[in-house]
Amino acid sequence: MTKPIEAEGLVRHFGDIIAVDGVDLVVEQGEIFGFLGPNGAGKSTIVRMLTTLLRPTAGVARVAGFDVVAQAGDVRRSIGVALQDAAIDPLMTGRELLRLQAVLHGIGRSEADSRGSVLLERVGLTIAGDRRVGTYSGGMRRRLDLALSLVHEPTVLFLDEPTTGLDPMSRLSLWEEVRRLNAEGTTVFLTTQYLEEADELAGRVAIIDGGKIVREGRPEALKAAVGDHTLVVTVSDAQQDLATEVLSGFGGARPGKAGALAIGLKGGTTAMSGALRALEDAGVAVEHVELDAPSLDDVFADATGRRLEGAAHDPDPGTST
Amino acid sequence: MTAAVIPRHRVEIGASQAIAQARLLARRSVVGTLRQPQVWLPGFLFPIFIAAVNTSTMGRSTGIPGFPDVDSLLDFLLPASITQSVLFGGLSAGSDTATDIQTGFFDRLLASPVSRTSILVGRLMGASVTGAVQAMVFIVLYGIFGVRVAGGLPAIALLIIFAMVLALVIGGFAAMLALRTGSAEAVQNVFPLTFIGLFISSAFFPTALMTGIYRSIATRNPVTWMIDGMRHQVITGLDWSEAGKAILVAAGLAVLAIAGANAALRARLRQAS
Repeated sequence: MTKPIEAEGLVRHFGDIIAVDGVDLVVEQGEIFGFLGPNGAGKSTIVRMLTTLLRPTAGVARVAGFDVVAQAGDVRRSIGVALQDAAIDPLMTGRELLRLQAVLHGIGRSEADSRGSVLLERVGLTIAGDRRVGTYSGGMRRRLDLALSLVHEPTVLFLDEPTTGLDPMSRLSLWEEVRRLNAEGTTVFLTTQYLEEADELAGRVAIIDGGKIVREGRPEALKAAVGDHTLVVTVSDAQQDLATEVLSGFGGARPGKAGALAIGLKGGTTAMSGALRALEDAGVAVEHVELDAPSLDDVFADATGRRLEGAAHDPDPGTST
Repeated sequence: MTAAVIPRHRVEIGASQAIAQARLLARRSVVGTLRQPQVWLPGFLFPIFIAAVNTSTMGRSTGIPGFPDVDSLLDFLLPASITQSVLFGGLSAGSDTATDIQTGFFDRLLASPVSRTSILVGRLMGASVTGAVQAMVFIVLYGIFGVRVAGGLPAIALLIIFAMVLALVIGGFAAMLALRTGSAEAVQNVFPLTFIGLFISSAFFPTALMTGIYRSIATRNPVTWMIDGMRHQVITGLDWSEAGKAILVAAGLAVLAIAGANAALRARLRQAS
């Protein structure tokens, strides 16, 4: 059976910059596929190519069985797209935008109106439906954006960082709706820079960095492959070298957040007390300690040598091992 | 690849759908303008202000030999006020297109199966409808102050048609600029240039009474040809030849503007290639 999304050797150049560098992808029918990576990793460029907004420099991609270049019109009729930043006309009402979106997809006015009402109710915007979008909160705009992408009942839905900038409650509400859609059979391609989002929603995850997929698989399998728990210890600057030396006997160094030392703790949780005792014996004053089960951030760190969380603030992984 | 995954409500986009899309996009354009008083209000206030200043400072100029035979300067100014107002409205068609590009709404349109031509046609249809409304408002408003269109209802209809075609000219050029640059600021910066074209024409003073290089430029300015043709309908009476000349000039410019905007749209779509 045809896969909802397939890409082989997808490449996109912008002048001398290689934004996407040979990406292969297969998304199965009915799954939520998470595309995880930091800003500038190439996530949105891939989404733009798969949604026909950008032509690949090389490689091929098929969405809903159609080639994204040769059959772009068929792809557009088959997909729902909610791009970054919820680009919604603030002068129109939610209901007006739903009608417009429906007509753009070739749906008649009366059917467009009835679908609009159903979708507004579904995303909890019935009361706000006749208000101008300019008065909506960020969460309401995202929910309307989702409703707009569903108006023609697509089988493949692209959500490009759908919860960026949302408060926790709005984020949870959107997650719930994405799960509901998926349960109804919609295949979801979700890009995110939030580890928790990928972990919570995605059945499979691809981690992208520098335009290349560096890991791909089920989140549990990826985390299990990392192996040991991560011991994170914070000590004073003056004792960093000494603490690093002591901890090196308990596991290999891992990229850590700024100012903290991290190792992959051999022996799991039971080895933690031994490591702390060794630090104390060496005269190191521990300010803070954490023992973290393997996370997608560890998977990212394992693959790239950098942390995804706080990456913008900690561009040099060499300073925190 | 065979056996594609078909969406549950797959609809092919034909010509009738493309027209429906253009109509709805035109409606969005008009509604968007109406909901921004800061956009449409200057298009009424500025021409009224200019007309008020001209009638109070140059009202007696209508008695100068060679000035067309009018009851008041407002009779003379009506086509100029309509033209001025349409300039404002037409430019907003361009700046709104640029805003759609800047905010990402344009991408939302492109990611749907909308006919690419409908995007442009919808925007220009919206500008044209706005132009008709502007013309009607000025005809009624100046009518309250005693201006009677000598050519009667057919001449009023011609004035409205002229405004609609002129809106296509301005809207087309503005949309072309917007699609080329993607910048609302770039479109707005062109605004003073359009007014130079208006002021160096017969809009506010008859070319017959002008002198020197100013007269030379004004008589060669297509704005003069259009305004003089429409002015004839207001002052003298219905004259199909004069009206045809004005509307043909506007239509010719509209063809150029729309072709330019269409080329800019295709170029923008190719940028994604």
